[in-house]
Amino acid sequence: MKPEIISVSNLTKNFTFFVKKQGAGFFTNIIKPEIKTISAVENISFSVEEGERIAFIGPNGAGKSTTIKMLTGILFPTSGKISVLGLNPSQERKKLAYQIGTVFGQRSQLFPNLPLTDSFEFFGVMYDLSKNEIENRTKELIEQFDLSSFKNQPVRKLSLGQRMRAEIATSLIHKPKIIFLDEPTIGLDIVAKKALRELLIKINREEKTTIFLTSHDVSDIEQLCERTIIINHGTIVKDLPTIELGKSFIHEKYVDIFLDTALDNFPDLPEGIKYVTKDKNKVTLSVDIANQSISDALQKILPYFSVLDIDVYSVELETVIREIYEATSSGK
Amino acid sequence: MKQLRLANSIIKMMIKDRIQYPARLIVDTFGIIARCGVLLILYRYVFRYQGGLIQGVTFQIVAWSMFLYFSFMTLRLRDLAKSIMQDIKTGTVEILLSKPIHYLNYRMWWQVGAGMYPFFVATFLGVVALFLTVGIPESMQSWFFVGTFFITFFFAGILSLLIYSAVGLLAFWIEDVKPLYWIVDKSVMILGGSYLPVALFPETMYKIAIFSPFGASQFITSTVYNTWKIDYLKLMGIQLFWIIVVGFIVVYIFNRAYKKVSVNGG
Repeated sequence: MKPEIISVSNLTKNFTFFVKKQGAGFFTNIIKPEIKTISAVENISFSVEEGERIAFIGPNGAGKSTTIKMLTGILFPTSGKISVLGLNPSQERKKLAYQIGTVFGQRSQLFPNLPLTDSFEFFGVMYDLSKNEIENRTKELIEQFDLSSFKNQPVRKLSLGQRMRAEIATSLIHKPKIIFLDEPTIGLDIVAKKALRELLIKINREEKTTIFLTSHDVSDIEQLCERTIIINHGTIVKDLPTIELGKSFIHEKYVDIFLDTALDNFPDLPEGIKYVTKDKNKVTLSVDIANQSISDALQKILPYFSVLDIDVYSVELETVIREIYEATSSGK
Repeated sequence: MKQLRLANSIIKMMIKDRIQYPARLIVDTFGIIARCGVLLILYRYVFRYQGGLIQGVTFQIVAWSMFLYFSFMTLRLRDLAKSIMQDIKTGTVEILLSKPIHYLNYRMWWQVGAGMYPFFVATFLGVVALFLTVGIPESMQSWFFVGTFFITFFFAGILSLLIYSAVGLLAFWIEDVKPLYWIVDKSVMILGGSYLPVALFPETMYKIAIFSPFGASQFITSTVYNTWKIDYLKLMGIQLFWIIVVGFIVVYIFNRAYKKVSVNGG
C-alpha cells in the first residue's frame, strides 16, 4: 500500500459576511450589521495516496475550490483536520509550499512581458534552487513540455494552450510531490486539452507526482484521473474509482436502431424498454438493465422492427455526473 | 540570504519588465518635468517678487526640495495600495499565498523593483537639469548631507511602503480602498510638500506636517534646508517612531487579513 499523503477529516469551512438589513438605517447597518454565514464545505473526510490522480469535481459553488485552497494553506478551515505531506497547511503554509505546486487555470503566475525562461529563473529562485539546479530543471521541463519553440517569446504572445503548458511546467520547477490544478483545461481547444492531459499523465508516471485536479470537463476526468471525488453543497457525495463511476450509476443502456423500412406507427414496447427518440428511419431506445440483461432486451426488441443496423451504448459519463449533481441537489 | 536573493530577483525581473516599455518611461519622465517644472516656474516668479527670500529660504533650496519630492514619487511606492487591492479583487492573492514567500514582503519588493528604473532615469535627468539651471545649494555640498540624505531616504521608503500597505490591506474588508487611498495620498502630497514646500507652511500646519506619518514619509524634502543640520535627529526620530507604529499596525492587519482571505470561487 502506498503512503497516504493527504488526509482530511471532518473539514468544514464557513464564510461569514455582512448583509444590509432591509429597512434599517445607515448607522444601524454599520454599528449592528446582520451577519450571514454560509457553509462552503461541510464536514468532509477523504485521503489520498502517493502518486494518485484524483478528480475533485462538483457543480459551481460546490466547495471544490475552497477545499483546494484549504489543502494548499490559502484558506483557514473553520474546523476539522488537514494533513498534507505530514504538514498542517494553514500553520505551515510556507514549508508546505516548497513541496507542492499549484495551477489556477484562470490566473497566470508568469511574467506577461518577459520570455518564459525568465519566469523559470524567477520561480527557481523563489523555491531556493541553486543556479545550476534552475538551469538543469529548466532544460528538462522545456524538453518535457515541448516549450523550446516559444521559450524566448514574451508570455503575453503565447496561445492559451502554450501558456497553460508553460504554467504547469513552471509550477513543477521545484519537483513538487503534489500538484493541485484548478480547472487547468478551461478555455483550451480539444488538441491542447489532449496534449495537456498526456503531459500530466507523463509527469505522474515519470516523477510520481500526485495530481489533484478540479475540472468541469468530463474528458479530463475520464482520461486523466483514476479516482473521482464528487462534492456538492459542500459535502462529498461520491468517492470511487473513475471507471466505477459509470458502472455504478448506469442503470440504462441505449440502443440505436436504424430501420430498413420507414416507420409511421411506432409499436408499444415491452416493459423496461422506452423510446428516447422516434424517427421514420431511426429509433433510440433506453433499456433498463437493472432487471434484464441487454441480450434479453435485444431479443425482445428485434421482432418489433425491421433492422438495418443496430448500435448499443452506455450513457456518457457526463450524463452520469449530471444525474449525480441533480440527484444530490434535489436531495434524492 | 534567501530573502535577499529573492528580492534581487524580483527587482531584476521588474526592471527587465519596465525596459520593455520605453514609452511608459517617457510618459513618467514627462509627467515629472511637467508637474515639477510648472511649479518651479511659478515659484521662481514668486521668489523674484519677494526679493529672492521667503521665510529665510531661497528659490534654489525650494527648487531642490520640490524636485526631491517629485523624484521620490517616481518610485511609485504609493501604487502598493492599488496592487494589494487588485490582488484581492482579482484573486491573484491566492497564487501568491500558495508560494513559499511572505506576501507583503514580496509585494513591497515588487513595488520597489517596478519603480526603480523610472526613478533612476527621471532623477538623473532632473538632477542634471537643476544643476544646470539653479545650481547646487551649499547645504547639499557636504558629506553630512549625503549620509543623512540616504538614511532619511531609506526611512521614507520604508514608511511609505508601510502606510500604503496598511491602506491596501484594508481591501480584505472593504474591497475598494480607492476613497481611502485618495485621502491618504493627498495627505502625503500636501503634508509632504509637493505644491507648497514644508518650510513655507504656517506654524500649525508645519507642526502637523512634521509630526504626522504622512509628512514624515517625505522628510527627504527637508534635507536641503539649512535647518536640517539642527533638526535631522528629531526628524529621523519621528520617522523611526512612525515606522515602528505603522509597522505594528500593518503586521496586525495582515495577520487578521490572512485569516479572512476569501477569494473568488472559494
